[in-house]
Amino acid sequence: MMSGMTSHLQQIGSRLFGFWRWYLRAIVLIICFGALVPAAPRAMLQAPQTVTTVQPQLCVHSRLIDEVDEWKIQRSLELVREMGADTIVEFFPWAYIEASEDHYEWGQVDRIVRHATNQGIRIIARMGLVPSWARPQSSSFTTLNTLDESHYEDFAEFVADFAARYAGQIDQLIIWNEPNLAFEWGYQQVSAEQYGRLLQAVYPRAHAANPNVEIIAAGLAPTLEPATSPAGLNDILYLQALYESGAANYFDALAIHTYGFTHPALETPAFERLNFRRAELLHDIMLEYGNSNIPVYITEMGWNDSDRWAYAVSPSERIAYTLDAYQLAANSWDWVDKMCTWVLRYPAPTFSYPDHFTLLDTEFQPQPLYFALQAFGRGETMNEALWLPAPDGE
Amino acid sequence: MAARPRRRIIAILIAIVITSAALAVISTFAVSRLLQEQAPFLPYGELRVGVDTSYFPFAMLNDGEFSGIDAEIAQALAEQLGTSLRFVPLGFDGLYDALYTDQVDALISAIIPNPARRDRVNYSEPYFNAGLVLIAPDQSPIASMNDIAGRQLALAFGSTAQGEANRWLRRIPLFDILPYERPNYALDALRIGDSDAALVDQVSARLYQREHPDWKTRLSEVTVVPYAIATRADRGRLSAAIDAALEEMQTNGTLSAIFSRYL
Repeated sequence: MMSGMTSHLQQIGSRLFGFWRWYLRAIVLIICFGALVPAAPRAMLQAPQTVTTVQPQLCVHSRLIDEVDEWKIQRSLELVREMGADTIVEFFPWAYIEASEDHYEWGQVDRIVRHATNQGIRIIARMGLVPSWARPQSSSFTTLNTLDESHYEDFAEFVADFAARYAGQIDQLIIWNEPNLAFEWGYQQVSAEQYGRLLQAVYPRAHAANPNVEIIAAGLAPTLEPATSPAGLNDILYLQALYESGAANYFDALAIHTYGFTHPALETPAFERLNFRRAELLHDIMLEYGNSNIPVYITEMGWNDSDRWAYAVSPSERIAYTLDAYQLAANSWDWVDKMCTWVLRYPAPTFSYPDHFTLLDTEFQPQPLYFALQAFGRGETMNEALWLPAPDGE
Repeated sequence: MAARPRRRIIAILIAIVITSAALAVISTFAVSRLLQEQAPFLPYGELRVGVDTSYFPFAMLNDGEFSGIDAEIAQALAEQLGTSLRFVPLGFDGLYDALYTDQVDALISAIIPNPARRDRVNYSEPYFNAGLVLIAPDQSPIASMNDIAGRQLALAFGSTAQGEANRWLRRIPLFDILPYERPNYALDALRIGDSDAALVDQVSARLYQREHPDWKTRLSEVTVVPYAIATRADRGRLSAAIDAALEEMQTNGTLSAIFSRYL
């Protein structure tokens, strides 16, 4: 009986062993075929370039971090240089770089830095997005923006490591994004005091890691939300609250987001109005709190020319308003170091109105505003019409 | 001689490991399905719909009143599901995070299915194609992009239509692109005979045709940009119910009636 069973098991084992050999051969075959597949092309560096511009405030916010193909990073930065912008703002998500605690993946950041340096472009880094290991484990309802105070030190450590690694290449770090919006604050009630404590956690560690680092307080979303709103808080009230909390000791510069929506660039600002010159009201708050000596970076600005978004303008208005805005900044806003248009290009289309904020489409086809800014950066007037006149009857 | 039994033992062990791994994967999948099926249908007793109200004609908010195609679809859906409806107005950037954080049960906001989000999101069957359409006069021989060779094509400069036209330039004999500032101007050019055809998005085409009801044209779809309803991946019962309700709304004419009020 036993010997029969043993013999049976031996037969099964023998067959499995047969399978096992075929299994090994299949793996070897797959590896061999894999070796035949060409590796993704690397983008070779050119001779070092420099940006030529007559408009030193010209800057653009890019979205390179999600690019899979290195050549697209390079092409994007070439087009930034050719436009005449010597600075970009780029997002470097904590969740991408330290997806596992204490294990860093710097490859994509290195690629962006390498190509930006090659094109003669300076990077202002925006830091944010929380990896899953640093998000509250008690709830499944968290987002990439959910950071509770128990993990502020982890974020500070990440910022410090980033500051140390890229010292001399990236010295300006924006801490978080639009913390006056609930969704940017992990759909929690926004709090300037809490954000101030985040700055306080980051500031000393980043400076210890790179003495030349400039910690930039986040650009606030232009919004009129009242203090009782669960969606966010008016940017002017939020900035006041931030100063009241004593956070001014923990940032070296301020970022501002200012959009024109449907209004011309030169329209007078007002507390209850969202327009481009709202930036002046935020600057007034800085003056009120004696913080006028620090640099200001407008890290997002612009108009949208979607046909159907409620807050958009026509493509020709978008060009005119944007050029007016840059001219205003050049003539009168000497407190603004850089003014960055949102946004150079998305890695993939949204197929919705955000696509109409871009300067290049996903296939690198320049939008009309790109050509206009390029001419502006060269000190020229764009004479060539990009489109035909509206047909008769309009 | 001793090596053969050892090899057999190794083979048996490997087989056990592979089988265990397969069983673990299958059981994890089964448990996940079971949890989804047992998850509450609408845990808050109402259908909470996230919507960006700045996108005409899909969702608008005027004097506290929600209107538009998506708003009406949400209303009809709530009726089909036999529940009350609550709109949660959101910005475009915050739509998905509101779903992830359980602020809303569904997103009905001109949402285009995103494969990268499918681990956390279920998408319904599409209820609209917002892609590009080729428009030509109804007696024109132009029935598809292949017929554009040697002719003039009006479109909006810098739009997705221009990108698509550039791709067609590489496939068929040369044709002339007439770039205008806006899709409506491209359609004007076609209507008054300055162009042989126009390439614009579906919504622009249909809105324009509402303004010019006597203008007879033929439309052919060139690209597909589907709009769908997004729900949480762990609420499978709600996703299935929405698909069933959409199918019913398609069959009984509710969807086409909603679209005809706006497009």
